[in-house]
Amino acid sequence: MTKRRWLALVALFGALTLVTAACADDEGGGGETGSTGTAPTGAAGCEADEFGCVEIGSGEPITIGTLLAISGDVAFLGLDSQYGVELAVDYLDGAFDGTPGQIAGHDVNLVNEDDGCSAEGGQAGGTKLAADTQMVAVIGSSCTSAALGVADQIMADQGILLVSPSNTNPNLTAEGVTTGFYARTAHNDKIQGAIVADFAIQELGAQTAATINDESPYADALAAVFRAGFESQGGTITTFEAIQSTDTDFKPLLTSIAEQSPDVLYFPDFNPACALIAKQAADIPGLEDTALIGSDGCADPSYTETAGAAAEGSYISQPDTSAFTQGEFYQSEFLPAYEDLVGDTPTAAFHAHSFDAMNIVADAIEAVAIDNGDGSISIPRTALKDALLATSGYEGITGTVTCDLLGDCATEVTIGLYQVPDVPFDDPQAKPVFSETKTLADVPA
Amino acid sequence: MGGPLRQGMKAGAIGGSVLVYLAMVGMIAKFDELVLIGTQVTLGLVLLAIPPLAAALAASRPRVVGGRVQRLGPVEGLVAGVAAGALTGVVIAAWLVVVDRIGIDRVRSVFVAVSPALVDVLTFGKGIAAGAAILVAAGAALGAIGGVWRSLRFGLRRPFAIGVGVVLLLAMLQRIVPTILDGLNIERDWLYSKVTRGLTWLGAAIVLVVATAVAAFWLDRRERASAAPAGAGRADTRSIARAIGLVAIVIAAVVLPRLAGSIVSEILGTVGVYVLLALGLNIVTGYAGMLHLGFSAFFLIGAYASALLTGANLVTAFGLVPPRYSADLNFYVGLLIVIVIGAVVGALLAAPVLRLRGDYLAIVTLAFAQIAVILATSNWLQPITGGPQGLRDVTNASLFGLSFRQPQNFYYLVLFFCAIAVYVSWRLAWSRTGRAWNAMREDEQVADAMGVSTSRYKLLGFAIGGAIGAVGGALFSVKVGTVQPGSFEILVSITVLAVVILGGLGSVPGVVVGALVLLGLPGLLSQLEEYRLLIYGGALVAIMILRPQGLIPNVRRSRELQEEERTQDAWQEIFAQKEQAAAERADAETTAATVEEGS
Amino acid sequence: MAEVGDAARARALGRLERFPVRRIVLIALSAGVIGAVAYGSIKTLTLPAGEAYSASAWRDFIVLGIAQGAVYALIALGYTLVYGILRMINFAHGEVFMAGAFGSYFFADAWKQSGFMDDQPWLSIGLLVVLAMAVAVTVAVLLERIAYRPLRGAPRLVPLITAIGASLFLQNTFRGLFGSQTRGYPKPTGLEGTWTILGIPIQKVQVLVLVVAAVALVALTLFVARTKTGKSMRAAAEDAEIASLMGINVDRVIVTTFVIGGMLAGIAGVLFALTFGNISYFMGFAPGITAFTAAVLGGIGSISGAAIGGFTIGILQSVGPALLLTGINVPSPFQLKDVVTFLILILVLLFRPGGILGTGEAEKV
Repeated sequence: MTKRRWLALVALFGALTLVTAACADDEGGGGETGSTGTAPTGAAGCEADEFGCVEIGSGEPITIGTLLAISGDVAFLGLDSQYGVELAVDYLDGAFDGTPGQIAGHDVNLVNEDDGCSAEGGQAGGTKLAADTQMVAVIGSSCTSAALGVADQIMADQGILLVSPSNTNPNLTAEGVTTGFYARTAHNDKIQGAIVADFAIQELGAQTAATINDESPYADALAAVFRAGFESQGGTITTFEAIQSTDTDFKPLLTSIAEQSPDVLYFPDFNPACALIAKQAADIPGLEDTALIGSDGCADPSYTETAGAAAEGSYISQPDTSAFTQGEFYQSEFLPAYEDLVGDTPTAAFHAHSFDAMNIVADAIEAVAIDNGDGSISIPRTALKDALLATSGYEGITGTVTCDLLGDCATEVTIGLYQVPDVPFDDPQAKPVFSETKTLADVPA
Repeated sequence: MGGPLRQGMKAGAIGGSVLVYLAMVGMIAKFDELVLIGTQVTLGLVLLAIPPLAAALAASRPRVVGGRVQRLGPVEGLVAGVAAGALTGVVIAAWLVVVDRIGIDRVRSVFVAVSPALVDVLTFGKGIAAGAAILVAAGAALGAIGGVWRSLRFGLRRPFAIGVGVVLLLAMLQRIVPTILDGLNIERDWLYSKVTRGLTWLGAAIVLVVATAVAAFWLDRRERASAAPAGAGRADTRSIARAIGLVAIVIAAVVLPRLAGSIVSEILGTVGVYVLLALGLNIVTGYAGMLHLGFSAFFLIGAYASALLTGANLVTAFGLVPPRYSADLNFYVGLLIVIVIGAVVGALLAAPVLRLRGDYLAIVTLAFAQIAVILATSNWLQPITGGPQGLRDVTNASLFGLSFRQPQNFYYLVLFFCAIAVYVSWRLAWSRTGRAWNAMREDEQVADAMGVSTSRYKLLGFAIGGAIGAVGGALFSVKVGTVQPGSFEILVSITVLAVVILGGLGSVPGVVVGALVLLGLPGLLSQLEEYRLLIYGGALVAIMILRPQGLIPNVRRSRELQEEERTQDAWQEIFAQKEQAAAERADAETTAATVEEGS
Repeated sequence: MAEVGDAARARALGRLERFPVRRIVLIALSAGVIGAVAYGSIKTLTLPAGEAYSASAWRDFIVLGIAQGAVYALIALGYTLVYGILRMINFAHGEVFMAGAFGSYFFADAWKQSGFMDDQPWLSIGLLVVLAMAVAVTVAVLLERIAYRPLRGAPRLVPLITAIGASLFLQNTFRGLFGSQTRGYPKPTGLEGTWTILGIPIQKVQVLVLVVAAVALVALTLFVARTKTGKSMRAAAEDAEIASLMGINVDRVIVTTFVIGGMLAGIAGVLFALTFGNISYFMGFAPGITAFTAAVLGGIGSISGAAIGGFTIGILQSVGPALLLTGINVPSPFQLKDVVTFLILILVLLFRPGGILGTGEAEKV
């Protein structure tokens, strides 16, 4: 091709781009079917609302999305949460009968996407959901890496409410960082880290501790919060180490840690690293008297399976929902319905949180939906978000759910420290050896 | 009849094993989730049908015997095909029966993909006995088709195959085509079902007929055009046709995101970034012939550098803090700096390893990429790179008021840079540098002796590749807005390599096609996403063995890649002839001996 | 006039090209590396008592390094044997190793649960090794037959890319077949704990690893030196064309090479699984690259080189981060242990591509 022809082509291309750009909607629009503008019907509430209303015509369903880790190595986490949402939709009519219920007189259309437990996955899945102008709210994400700065921003840009059942990283609801359209029913790890530190100091009488975190935001934050809490109560951190979640050989690291003979070794990582650390620590002479503590990232059956005998006596922290999961509703209605739907017992803990999340979203929709009188409703987006963040005293499976303005709905969290083999993921009736309830006000900012 | 039957059995055995493999690895069950046509034809079903068909086609292909090409007649072809297809069916049916006897749960405790859903698909929901019978029968039927395929009248074969391909492609693109049609306000419910999202039977039939007709017409024109003598007039029409085609592609590329919506734009944005990276790798590996497995490192460097230069925040457990070293530059200024950084690092990486041969060079680049990722994730460099949590709140960039965080707008940005990269590639290919690379690729010592400064051109290749990779990284950081080390694993290098190889080493249109296939399709179809890496691995091996020059070959490279192969094939043929001759001689001798004895 | 200018410019450029840029860069690099190593080591060894590592820690590091090195040596042998004959890097060898470990896993699990493993530890380990070898050899032979043999004469780029593709393919095949979760590999109770040998506590598993690896190495060396097949292998490694003219069936020799490499990888797989207690579909990648580094370090193509390289890398990986980085206050030094390995690889390839036992000269392109 000659140079001239090439230049002509480039010029044509450039001109076309400019033309289409000029004709484009600017920031915030450019969606698939029209803009999220004002509503033709409905009250003045829609026009005043910054993001307008979602118009649900008569007989049309309300679209709710899920953005969870449903594929890959952490599928057990995301799928479990997704089942919780499905059960919540079923229970909207007051019974687990396999037929979904309704919100404000409309059916619910669940759209499931994968958050890939990564930033790109969160972006890809989040974009797919946010492109649907009928999307009212999204339950997700499973992993912090998909939400932080990615999905939460994508949703907030469209005014779509995002409620997570399992993100625990403090930054998602930190002042100045949170997007405003984000909430979570999972606990804030500021609380969990502080409670683990309390356990180490008060219960175990530890004076020195070492931490090992992996590359995930979850572990990084949790280890840091633990260190802060431990040191503020007079303890000393001997070493804080980092690993890759795909590493398999921790012996040199553990040998190095053993040199300082810490009283406690805290490794809030995921499996299999968690299990392998516990297993290999048993072979290190210097760590014989060191208490091993993991957190809810370790809390699945593969921990005890992989670590075997070495895990005996180690501690795992995770939300202590026994006050409610021992309750009637959970045991006699929820669990059987879960097993009917899935064919197996729960693989993770957060189905309860996603169940509650879906329910408070449904309640918020019911509260703000504007009935247009002809069978259609309008749901103002900002009002929905406000209503959700104002949720107070809702009795869910995970406890009493009261949201604060920054998005933390699990404001009063009970974390239990369980000792292997008495752990909830192997024995649903397990009792913690230490349990504490804290609110966000109790922990340092 | 021994020959075709034996061929058929051999092909059938292989086909059956492939089918069992696909079943055990879980692809069939997973692909069954995607409905293609109507309610019955799923991608899983198509996958199930491919091995018997392919086995039959392979069994009935023409052979080289005794130096002559021997085509199989229709009957022989039928025999071979049916044998191949039926045996494939028998193998998978037998496997099914065995699994059933052992007990699905026991098998599942080891082979996790063997689920009741899989059995359902394989038995077409009709139970083991009936299912097995159907498998054998269907296999035989498909085998029959495959067997006689080559004997059919030449004219309709290829158009029909193309037609089927178009139907399947449209069915797989069920996420974008309906949206585009909606955007153009074209009625589409006759084509795509609202319930299953796949094609309707009516739509599929219409598309098949239309596509076959168009393909037939087009192929016919091409044949007649090539048969007629080349004259000046024809050249003109051909180049006008090509120009129109190019303009059409440009228009389509520009307009597509407006029509197809933000989901597709987001996917195309990712594809675009990989196209850019692949164009860079194409220059280093395709033109300059150096296998560079460290591209992910430049991707990483570009992303982090751009984020730090334009402003980002570190994520710590206690909130956001600015990194130790960062600036607040304009994105485009930062981009220029990133280009320089990429080029310099590329040259620095290349400088020490100039004398190393291909394998070692590849390993060194691989090591470099691994080091880059580990350092970016490390606690040691955390104050700069943000450690495992990376950087967030990367400052947005915009052009004429269009924010690039929007998928559609980002797509244009990346398209623009791809165009520049294409231009650079094109100029390089036809320049002195390109010729020097050609010479180096063919024989480095000779090139050196002829006075080509190999060191200089190798450095140049790496520098350009590094610069392009870094630009890709900068664009990526703008697109996602967060820079996390998990996005820069060695897998990126391998993916980019797969794109270049599949598309064709040294071929720019090939790179685009490769990226669309390897990244666009899995982006659209989550079933493919699940098996993406498996497909990449298999595709790399298959391409290298069957068609090393890739889908859209660069003519010069394909000659190089195939050269030694051709020599090898020639030897094989000669050996085969010798064996044949020896066998015939032996036969003649035994016959003579029997005759002697008998008389 | 122009000619004089041209000539002058050409001379200047020529001088520039002869300017030993490469030499200077290399010298600067080596000085930098030696300096950094020395500095880091000295700082670590002179740390005050509370922060320094105790002698027992160093001892543990070294013992651990030797045990790991044994595993790397076994895998490195596979790389080096194949390279010797085919002059190609079998990228997928790490996956052969993984296949062996996986192959033995299901039996190991079953036997542990039934108690057979604890009753008969040596017998069960022996059987596991045999099983692992069988699976690994199968994978290796299939690899050779399907992926490498058709490409015997192809330009060097092609088999390398094929190997990468095969590695990806095998990894994900195992992922698809057996699932993506990591599984715990059981150990006989008889193998838990340590023995004290010469006053040094060594884990029983590590002793097993060392003994088995030593036996395998000796057996291999004898095999290659004494048997006919071994001699054929050496001949083919020298010059495949001439060897085939002398009547050696090169195809069969190649298959034998892959078989032996597979056997060693299978043994390594079981040993690795017993040592670290887990297997997963991606377990072959990192040991594969590390073992390849070991092979290159020792001298690719040489059996004793692979062994030496393996042990050296094992120790360097174990001791390196502690020794080099703790003193200069690098946080979390063990995170960077792979950086140490890769830097070693790069340095070896830069300065002595022939490896420790090699000729010291780069094999020309």
